[in-house]
Amino acid sequence: MKDYFQQISKFLFNQLNSSEILILNFDAEKTDFVRFNKGKIRQAGNVNQINLIINLIFKGKTLRTSIRLSTNFNKDSKPLANILNFLRREIVELPNDPYLMYEKDQNFTNQVMQNNNIDTHLITDTIINKFKLLDMVGVLSSGNIIKGFSNSLGQINWHESESFNFDWSVYSKNGKAIKQNYSDQKWNQNIFDRLFLECTQKLNVIDYQEQKIMPGEYKVYLSPSAMNEIIDMMSWGGFSYKANKIGSSPLHLMSKGKKELNKIVSFSENLTNGISPKFHSDGFIKPEKTNLIVNGKYNNSLVSPRSSLEYSVKHNAAEYYESPVSIELEPGDIKTEEILTSLNDGIYLNNLWYLNFSDRNNGRITGLTRFGCFKVANGEYVGPINTMRFDETVYNILGEKLIGLTDKQQLLMDSSTYEERSTYNSTIPGALVDSFKMTL
Amino acid sequence: MDKDFINIVKPMLPKVDYCSIRFVNKYNNIINATRNVLEPVVISEDEGVMVTVFHNGGSGYGATSNLTKEGIQQAINSAIDWAEFSKGKLTYFPRLSEMKTQSGNYFTTEDKPWSQVSMKDKADFLMVINRALRSKSNITNWGAGIRHNSIETLFLDTNDSNIHQKISYILPQMIVSAEHKKETQTRTFGGHAHARQIGYDIFDDINMIEKAKQLSEEAAELSKSPNCENKITQAVIAPDQMILQVHESIGHPLELDRILGDERNYAGSSFVTPDMFGNYTYGSKCLNVTFNPTMQSQLASCKFDDDGTNAEKQYLIKDGVLLRPIGGLFSSQRTNLDYVACSRASSWNRPPIDRMGNINLEPGENTFDQIISSVDDGIFLETNNSWSIDDKRNKFQFGCERGTLIKNGKLTNVVKNPNYRGITENFWKNLSKVGDMDTHKILGTSNCGKGEPNQTIFVGHATPTCLFNNVDVFGGV
Repeated sequence: MKDYFQQISKFLFNQLNSSEILILNFDAEKTDFVRFNKGKIRQAGNVNQINLIINLIFKGKTLRTSIRLSTNFNKDSKPLANILNFLRREIVELPNDPYLMYEKDQNFTNQVMQNNNIDTHLITDTIINKFKLLDMVGVLSSGNIIKGFSNSLGQINWHESESFNFDWSVYSKNGKAIKQNYSDQKWNQNIFDRLFLECTQKLNVIDYQEQKIMPGEYKVYLSPSAMNEIIDMMSWGGFSYKANKIGSSPLHLMSKGKKELNKIVSFSENLTNGISPKFHSDGFIKPEKTNLIVNGKYNNSLVSPRSSLEYSVKHNAAEYYESPVSIELEPGDIKTEEILTSLNDGIYLNNLWYLNFSDRNNGRITGLTRFGCFKVANGEYVGPINTMRFDETVYNILGEKLIGLTDKQQLLMDSSTYEERSTYNSTIPGALVDSFKMTL
Repeated sequence: MDKDFINIVKPMLPKVDYCSIRFVNKYNNIINATRNVLEPVVISEDEGVMVTVFHNGGSGYGATSNLTKEGIQQAINSAIDWAEFSKGKLTYFPRLSEMKTQSGNYFTTEDKPWSQVSMKDKADFLMVINRALRSKSNITNWGAGIRHNSIETLFLDTNDSNIHQKISYILPQMIVSAEHKKETQTRTFGGHAHARQIGYDIFDDINMIEKAKQLSEEAAELSKSPNCENKITQAVIAPDQMILQVHESIGHPLELDRILGDERNYAGSSFVTPDMFGNYTYGSKCLNVTFNPTMQSQLASCKFDDDGTNAEKQYLIKDGVLLRPIGGLFSSQRTNLDYVACSRASSWNRPPIDRMGNINLEPGENTFDQIISSVDDGIFLETNNSWSIDDKRNKFQFGCERGTLIKNGKLTNVVKNPNYRGITENFWKNLSKVGDMDTHKILGTSNCGKGEPNQTIFVGHATPTCLFNNVDVFGGV
């Protein structure tokens, strides 16, 4: 596939005149999707797609378009040439772009993960056999993801990986559920067996009598998955330089030095795990690590090249939307294995759901409890809770009310498949929080 | 393209119990101007096919952007391969004999097609709006945009169906934020929900410049306004918030695939169960809700869904009583409930699932003035900016951009950060007045997410202004 990308790159670049620059972004995936309900297949199939974004730069102006490719050069070459001519015809109508910035140095990267020939049929049969007596619902996505970059200045970057992501829940007879995820580059039956065992053990507990929780304040444990939902909301502009400048960031009070989080809280954008591509869509190479919040204080934002020109600051190769793609929250010192003892009396929140802002200016978030949330008393599970709505500020959850973070982080791969499979991920510990407010 | 496509593809249809081929071409053009600068213009074209096979107790699909004959054949092979593999492993296999041969066309009416206006004219128009948006001194952020999408679909199957539809819509957007004492308040043009199937003539109907000036003044006013107080009160809800209320607490809970459990791992299920249809009191007697694919210019109007089912207007709720779910032909076979033509896919690369189309709250007989004058102490809520609801679509909390207090039957002071929360099963029973056609707006949103693999789709909602009793309203920190 890389050879084909180079072939069409060369074809297009050869047609440019001296005042034109072309930037190409290549996105391809070949994915098997198997959707399950009640432990059986609901829908299954394969999606094979290749997309090319073509960005023409001409005398301070820019215009981009995208096209699907067949990988048959005889079929693709004519529409590619037509698109280049279309861009040339339209670009002259546009005004100069004052925030136009693209990489002029040449940075070559090539990340190709080992191909393990994942067998989706085999995995699907394994899953069906394992869950044949259980009410399992979820989706298996598996196959390869390719991202490429090239420009007419000579730069080329390539990122290729093969992986699977099985995201599922198992429902008990009383309608309560345990949610799990297994994603990796190679199927390991031992890991899957261990997850299945954990699932069946938790199912026994979740079938205990429901514990009715009333609105009020509770000591809670937020699992890494639950914390991930909170951090997702913080990332709606919270780490964006531009959003903090225009006031739409939920952390703008922090960025202006008016608020702080607990001193044990340190966030970074950390690309060292290699899951997300390290190159920007305009060719810039991203730093391995950007410290966003250090010891509770706002340290740095994600700055896109466009923001760097608009606000005269140095950029750190963030994409235009300026939100993290591989965020890490440093661990704390609460023993993960002893979390029930540390929580003692309170609520164990395994998953949160459908979060949004109650008051964005003040970092106040609402959302609901979902899968696998339990009441805990004397360090032991008592039973599942009813669905509850919470309403809390980030400054409480990770600030004044934060008791501590667990000593182990969890790598969470984003299972999102809108338009294409996501390469976002996060590395997050659990959190113990006091007086967490439940409202409905 | 259609005749070429038909001539190439028809002989390729395999000899199986049932096979359909759905070709989709999506054209997308987004032009935004933010803080007086034209952002990079986005033009994208996306096309491909999905082949679906039902055969011998198995089903599968193959989708590809490779539209050569070899590429389409590979997609057919992939669909057959998955159908063979899934034999005997499916949750459900449809009764194929109930599928009918369908033929027909549907095209959006565009008095002034998008392509007739140059990119420069569109960009210049947005720059004029930008200047109007910054009409107050404490404005910190402003922007305007136009999004145009056209989606062309060709559907063929082994029943000899032949459907050709082309939907084109425009979404005009504006945003303006004002800051006062380190606090920012934002107004948008209807919460970005003014999407309609229409041409560039949409701007003959909407005076964007005047609206921009109004939004700018409202943002400046909001930034200096007090927080909404916490109380149980009467709430008059404008159409640009009502659409979210209908979407989240009527549309989603009535989706039959949720009720059947398909979405339990992601978008959630529903408090509605199959036995409730035909007898459950969903709301007060003035609640009438329809699935209406026939409304002119509404976002999800069409003649057929993506499984080839003919689309007709149907009542989902009549006089407060729940009648039928939002479920396509295949889902209805799993429950023996009535179906509507709602089996929709976001594109060629995703399989159809039960989706909202146009889900509309039918107008009543009350004028806006009659509704407001009937309220002694309440609040008028406009424009959604926050939404959250539980996985069974019951406990919700929604936020609005602007609240206006109502005292003794009159609109009075503006308050910021108005939120309200409630429980679907109780909320609609407190619907006390429904506005007339003069309060009614045809709106739509382009980003409803659901499904595994995930799909974002456009849905339409037309609704009047409504009055609710006993609403739990509250403000910011």
